Amino acid sequence: MEVRPILSAMLRNKTAPLLIAAQVALTLAIICNALYIIRDRLSTAARPTGADETNLFEIRFYPHRPIADIRGMQIRDLEALRAIPGVRSVAWVNQIPLGQSSWNIGGLTTEPGKRDSNIQATYYFSGGSLIDTFGLRLIEGRDFQSSEVVESDPRKERAEPQVMIITRALAELLFPGAASVVGKSFYLGGSDDAKPVRIVGVVERLQSPSAPAGARAELSMIAPITYLDGYTRYAVRAEPGQRERVMAEAEKALLALSNDRVLLGKGGFDELRARRYSGERIMAGLLIAVTGFLLLITASGIVGIASLWVNQRRKQIGVRRALGGRRVDILRYFVTENAIITTAGVLVGLSLALALNHVLVGAIELPRLPLIYLGLGALVMWLLGLLAVSGPAWRAAQVSPAIATRSV
Amino acid sequence: MLKMQNLSKVYRTHMIETQALRGFDIHVREGEFVAVTGPSGSGKTTFLNIAGLLEEFSSGEYLIDGVNVAGLDDNARSRLRNEKIGFIFQGFNLIPDLNLFDNVDVPLRYRGFDSAERRRRIEQSLTQVGLASRQRHYPAELSGGQQQRVAIARALAGSPKLLLADEPTGNLDSNMARGVMELLEEINAAGTTILMVTHDPELAARAQRNVHIIDGQVSDLEHETRRALASLSTTPEAV
Repeated sequence: MEVRPILSAMLRNKTAPLLIAAQVALTLAIICNALYIIRDRLSTAARPTGADETNLFEIRFYPHRPIADIRGMQIRDLEALRAIPGVRSVAWVNQIPLGQSSWNIGGLTTEPGKRDSNIQATYYFSGGSLIDTFGLRLIEGRDFQSSEVVESDPRKERAEPQVMIITRALAELLFPGAASVVGKSFYLGGSDDAKPVRIVGVVERLQSPSAPAGARAELSMIAPITYLDGYTRYAVRAEPGQRERVMAEAEKALLALSNDRVLLGKGGFDELRARRYSGERIMAGLLIAVTGFLLLITASGIVGIASLWVNQRRKQIGVRRALGGRRVDILRYFVTENAIITTAGVLVGLSLALALNHVLVGAIELPRLPLIYLGLGALVMWLLGLLAVSGPAWRAAQVSPAIATRSV
Repeated sequence: MLKMQNLSKVYRTHMIETQALRGFDIHVREGEFVAVTGPSGSGKTTFLNIAGLLEEFSSGEYLIDGVNVAGLDDNARSRLRNEKIGFIFQGFNLIPDLNLFDNVDVPLRYRGFDSAERRRRIEQSLTQVGLASRQRHYPAELSGGQQQRVAIARALAGSPKLLLADEPTGNLDSNMARGVMELLEEINAAGTTILMVTHDPELAARAQRNVHIIDGQVSDLEHETRRALASLSTTPEAV
């Protein structure tokens, strides 16, 4: 390999190689981080909610006028929904995973009167079984008993639940290192009159409606509360393959029961997920476009400079051929020259990528860049360089040795 | 060393067909110093290109050092060129971004010699042309005569049997030209066959044999005729 003479010749004309190497370095730094952000955002968007997403849907209504007998309405609605063939389980719910609008309670603590706790969890409640209706996986304890369900009328005094089912993530946060949390108690805030809430069950996973990035998404708890509000939201779990039909029939059945309410919306998790993560998808799409654009610009730069060098050195190429260089030797010369520039750019780019990641970790809560992305980025840049230079190098290899004897 | 029989070269474009060489016969023996002369457009450069395997010919037969060139692929031609032929060009054709050492190294790398052998040959050939002390200099730091000496060193480094020189003194003043010519004569005296294309009858006269090309055909001139031609073309003072 004629690396040394190529390098020493390059050092006599540094500007163009330096510019290309800088372009490679910058592109590498950006694409490593961009690819990582894309992957991070897409994997965030793909996290399971813990619910039986395939078969579950929600249907929401809002009343035209005040409803006198809310409890009766809920009972009739639930019965009508259960009567639809293909319905597996139904529950009134205050919120639904990925629904974006959420009820949260902060200051959760295991010590009474502790006011400085920063543990916050999303607060699901229902008079029915969310374990059955959402299809949650109970990993410890039990579901609620009907005697534990309390009624809460927002127009009157708020009812306090005595028992709670929490997620594993919340259990680990409240009781770090505990082998079992069933039977343990915690408080919904640090006020003096806060009463203990006993944990009766732990579910593996239940995402909050907002589903923020990171572990906070699974800090959820479920209370056995029948909430008497005119606004109604039902979660319906259908038998496999029945969801679309059941959803259409549910709308008809509920509107037939009462015409003094309007349908606010209905839909499955595919729609909820698409709505919740549209920002992540747009960002990932933009980053993919920027990455593609950067790679194109860098490849164009390499093609441009390599083509220029081939044109400038036609005579020199002819002389090399006249002195015994084979076509493959000329091809190898330009590929080696490009590999030297790309390698220099890659080495600088790796440091730049780490520096950029350091900034992003602080700015957008991005985890540290795994080294595999640096390796992947370097490989992409090398392949890009090789691909970009192959055309000009091939043209160089076709230069006739006879050009060496031409006077112009 | 070099034998061409009934060789022809035709350049074709979609409009025109040009016969650059036709019925071309020449036989250069090992150790000869042959000057090739002829007017512009007579086919000298075409002959040199074909002799140096830089171009292919259209028909006929060409043997170099006993090897029939016809039918050789590009790699084989390159290998043959590298091993048997040294080139000296009118414009020197040194690579400006490489120092003298690396310039002379170019054909040796293509030959596949190891670094110790390449170094030995480079130093030996640069010493032969009197430029060993300047091997880290770049071509632009040398005079025209010195650059041509480097080009000769580059041509010699691979120990070729045949040296092809294309107007080797064409870009030099008379003093430098004389020096280069003396160097070529020394090289020839050491056994290397030289084929030199020149416009200069005085230089041609110093060769052992003169070949004249007109309209793509060759005519060997007798020694006396060459002398006469040389004296006619020189000034009375020079005579």
